[in-house]
Amino acid sequence: MKICEDTCKRLNLYLDNELQGDERAAVEAHLQECGSCASVFKRELSFINAIRECGPMHVAPPALRAKVQETVNGAGPKPFPAKRIVSKAQVRLGLAIAATLLMLLSPILIWRVMNRSPQSAASSFALMAAETHLRHSRGQLPLEVESGAPQHISEWFANKVNFSVKLPNYQESSGQEKLYTLEGARLVGYKEDYAAYVSYSMNSRPISLVITSDSVAHPSGGEEIDARGLKFHYNAIDGLKVLTWSDRGLTYALVSDLEERGQQSCIVCHQGTKDQDLIEPLKLH
Amino acid sequence: MEDNMDSVAGDTLNQAALAHIDALFGYAMTLARDAAEAEDLVQETYLKATGAANQPPAGSNLKAWLFVIMRNAWLNHVRHDQSGPRFVELETNEQMDDSGGNPHVVYLRKLEQKQVREAIEKLPQAYREIVVLRDIEGFTYQEIAMVLDCPAGTVMSRLGRARAKLRASLATWQRISRARAV
Repeated sequence: MKICEDTCKRLNLYLDNELQGDERAAVEAHLQECGSCASVFKRELSFINAIRECGPMHVAPPALRAKVQETVNGAGPKPFPAKRIVSKAQVRLGLAIAATLLMLLSPILIWRVMNRSPQSAASSFALMAAETHLRHSRGQLPLEVESGAPQHISEWFANKVNFSVKLPNYQESSGQEKLYTLEGARLVGYKEDYAAYVSYSMNSRPISLVITSDSVAHPSGGEEIDARGLKFHYNAIDGLKVLTWSDRGLTYALVSDLEERGQQSCIVCHQGTKDQDLIEPLKLH
Repeated sequence: MEDNMDSVAGDTLNQAALAHIDALFGYAMTLARDAAEAEDLVQETYLKATGAANQPPAGSNLKAWLFVIMRNAWLNHVRHDQSGPRFVELETNEQMDDSGGNPHVVYLRKLEQKQVREAIEKLPQAYREIVVLRDIEGFTYQEIAMVLDCPAGTVMSRLGRARAKLRASLATWQRISRARAV
């Protein structure tokens, strides 16, 4: 049938979020009613997800990160070590330009160094969590299990990750107004292993919680905030607020686009509890 | 205006750019296939990106803009390299094994990430690049078209061929591993 042929031709566009409006609706409507095309769609989705779960394929070495940090902090670029792909003439030209810029901009650079807050670069775990949040928000990382029941999500992770994921259910037990919604979860690749990704939303704004073992990821970098014996690391990454911390053998990253340090997102675990002493230090003062 | 260099926005921009270092290093590895060259390429990209005369266009995607800078830098090196072109373009009449209905694909989720990564690494340059840009880095077709400086239609067709080749490669790997297991 021609409609099946047309739909199959458009499946990659659909899966890549390149179809909008009526075109997207037409593909979805056909997939609902045609088992054959729905089967092809499942295969394609499975195939593309397998590729997407491979990322990130490389992590920048710490030494490179440090050099680039110096560059973006305006401390002045250092000459490239033993230049392999840039000619000597280019290096000389680059150094001459850098020296000229340094002379012209030195008052500005001194001002910036004096006013810089003592933060270091975000950890790879925080960066992965922010990237995962963005990809899920764009529809590029569909959930593997959709449920609003914390118990169901916790059970789904059993035997899929080598740590126990126990999502709290403070919202139900507190009987308070429902401020957030648990949407579902999936596995995400991190350092040759799986991490747990849990998706929430609050007022239609997504909140992501990524969990892995503290033997795999250690929170580091960013602004350090101490609260009730825990050390939180706060980073602003691509306009997102990322809090990372370790507790009882697990490392967590909480990502949102909420205000200040995104501490409002802490209610996904702490709503209805008397945990203001935990959340208060995260607020800006 | 040089004053922009001193602004809070400029500082934030630089820090935001730093958040993409892993993605940029991954793309540099895709282009150069050598860790030392990839590191140089990342440094050069940031040096250019943080230069006062080189600011992202208003409203543009910062990550895509950084990738454009990196790709242009790489192409400049390739053009000036006396050892000849290293950026192998695709043959347009390449025979493709379009295994869209390949039943092995249903088992793909069970494959180890390692095998999928290896299959990506073995793709020809242009196919590997477009798979990384779309499926690993999550760029839209329009953003990829900007990075590769080609029409969005080319992105769509090249991505289709790249995925078909990757699918075929993984199906072959699975046939071999099954045969070994027997």
